[in-house]
Amino acid sequence: MAVNSTPILCRFQYDCHIRLFDVDQADDMDAVAAKCAAHIVGRQVASQPDKILRVRRTTDDDNAPPFPRDMTVEAAELTRFEQLDVYFDVA
Amino acid sequence: MALLERSEWYDLARTTNWTPKYATEDELYPADMSDPYGISTEEWETFDEPYKVTFREYVAVQREKDTGAYSVKTALQHSDYYDVADPAYLSMLKMHYGAIALSEYAACQPDARTARFSKAPGMRNMGLFAFLDEMRHGQIQLWFPHALVRKDRQFDWAHEAQHSNNWAVLSGRHLMDDVMMTRDVPTCAIMLSFAFETGLTNVQLVGLSEDAAKVGDHTFSNLITSIQSDEARHAQIGTPVIEIMVRNGKKAEAQQALDIAFWRVWRVFAILTGVPMDYQFPLEKRAMSFKEYMHEFVITQFQRQILDVGLDRPWYWDHFLDDVENHHHCQQCGIWSWRQTVWWNPTAGVGPREREWLEEKYPGWNASFGTYWDVVIDNILNGRDELAWGDSMTAVCNMCQIPISHRPGPEWRARAHQLDYEGRRYSFCTPVCKWIFGTDPVRYKDHHSIVDRMYSGEIEPPTFDNILKYMGCGEVSEGGRDAHDYAWIEAYRTQPQAAE
Repeated sequence: MAVNSTPILCRFQYDCHIRLFDVDQADDMDAVAAKCAAHIVGRQVASQPDKILRVRRTTDDDNAPPFPRDMTVEAAELTRFEQLDVYFDVA
Repeated sequence: MALLERSEWYDLARTTNWTPKYATEDELYPADMSDPYGISTEEWETFDEPYKVTFREYVAVQREKDTGAYSVKTALQHSDYYDVADPAYLSMLKMHYGAIALSEYAACQPDARTARFSKAPGMRNMGLFAFLDEMRHGQIQLWFPHALVRKDRQFDWAHEAQHSNNWAVLSGRHLMDDVMMTRDVPTCAIMLSFAFETGLTNVQLVGLSEDAAKVGDHTFSNLITSIQSDEARHAQIGTPVIEIMVRNGKKAEAQQALDIAFWRVWRVFAILTGVPMDYQFPLEKRAMSFKEYMHEFVITQFQRQILDVGLDRPWYWDHFLDDVENHHHCQQCGIWSWRQTVWWNPTAGVGPREREWLEEKYPGWNASFGTYWDVVIDNILNGRDELAWGDSMTAVCNMCQIPISHRPGPEWRARAHQLDYEGRRYSFCTPVCKWIFGTDPVRYKDHHSIVDRMYSGEIEPPTFDNILKYMGCGEVSEGGRDAHDYAWIEAYRTQPQAAE
C-alpha cells in the first residue's frame, strides 16, 4: 500500500458485495467513484451511462449527504476501512 | 458362561469416577478444561447418553462400516464414473473434501479432551468413541479422494486445503478453532455436538448421501452414510450437557454457547450445502431447494429440539430466516465471480431453466440476484470473458471470514457492520457476527482476516496475483474456472428471450 493511500470499503449501489479499494489522499470523490466503478460496473452491476456517481459516508439510515464531487479524500478525513456508499445520481 | 445383557452391567461399567488421593479434584479436572460453570461432580455423574454402545459393539460395528465403504470403493474403482460425471458434481466433491477431511481429523482433539477431562464418566466414554469416529472420518475422506488425484490435481486439496491460507479455509478454520479447538468440555459439547452436529450437519449428511446416490456416485454415497451413522451417535453428547446446565442454573451460559455456535456454523454450512443443493446438483435430480430443506429439518425440527432441552431459540432468529433466503445465493455470486480463488471449478447454475427454478423457489430471485447474473451473462454472450471475473478484493467479515455480501439489485442490502476496538476497525457481515465479537473481544481481537493480512505486510505487495499465491491458488493446483467452460450460455443463444 502506498504511503498516501487509504483502504476504504465500497458499498456500490445494486452490488452484492462490499468491496475493498485503496484510494489516494489526493483523490477527489469523482476519482474515488471511478476507481470503484472500474472493477464493478459492467462486471456485476449494469452500467448507467446517463448517470453520474456520487459518494457519501455509509450510515444506518442511508441519508448522509453526498461529498462535494471535488472534495479530496484528505479533506473528507476518510479513515482506514471507512465504509462509503457509491451510488448513481442524475447528471 | 452366559453373558449378561448389556443393560444389566452398562451403568456399573461406566461408573468410573473415583476419589483422588494423590491429586486434588481441581488438579485432576481443571475448571478451564472440565467445567468453568462450577457444577458439582455429582450432577455431572447424572449424564446419561441417549445412545448407548459398548466398546465391543463399537469395534464390531465400525469394522463392518469400514468394510462396507471400502468394499464399494474397491468394487467401483475401475468404473469410469469420475471420468464422465458432471463437472459441477465433481466440484462439489472437491469442495467437500477440501473443507471437511482434515476438519474431521482436527475434531479428534475436542473429542479426546472430552474423553480425558469430562467430569461425567458416561460422557468420557462417548468422547472416546467420538474421537475414534473422527479419526476414521479423517482417514476415509483423505483416502477416497487420493485415488482421484491422478485424474484431477484439484482433488489434492482434500489434504492441502487446511494447510493453506485460502480464504475459504481461513473461514472454516476460524470457525473450528472457535467452537471446538479452544473451548472447555461442556461448552464444546453444546457448540460442536448440539449446535453443529445435531442442529445442522447430521441430517444434512443423510440428504447428501441420497443426492450422491441419485447422480450415480455410490462410492461417495456409501462413504457419507458410513460417516453419518457415527455422527448420529456422537451428536447426542450435547443434549444431556445442556439439561444438566439448565437444571443447575446455567441456562444463560448454555444459551450463549448455542447462539454463538449455531450462527457460526450456519454461515459456513450454508455455503457447503446451500450452494450444491441450489446450483451444483443437476436440476432434474433436485428433491428440494436448500430453503425447503432448512425449513423442514432445521427451522422446524431443530427449533423443537432447542425448546425441548430447555433453551430458547437464538435471539437472532429473524436474521437467520433472512440469511436462509440470501446468504448462499450471495456466496454463489462471489464464488463463481472470484472462481480463481477456490480449488474447485464452480458452476454458474443459472441457465434459463435453472433461473426459472430459482425464481419459483425464491420469489424475487430474478429481480435481485438475477440483475447480477444478467451482467455476467451479457459479458459472456458478447465475448467479454475478461469482464466475467472478479478482479479486486471484497471486504471480509472479521468473524466468519466470509466476503461481506447481501441481496443485490434495487434492494441493495450489502453493508458492513463495523466497530472500533482498541484502535482497530473491525468489519462484520451481519449484526450477529458483530454481536459474537462483543461477547468476548479478547478472544477474537487479534485474528487477522485475509484483508488485514494485505495491510499488515504479510502479503507483500498486496497485489491480486500475490493474494492468489498467498492463498495457494496456482501452487497446489490451478484455481477454479467455470465448471462447464461456459457451455450453459448456449441456452441463452438459442433462447435469447430467456436472458431478458
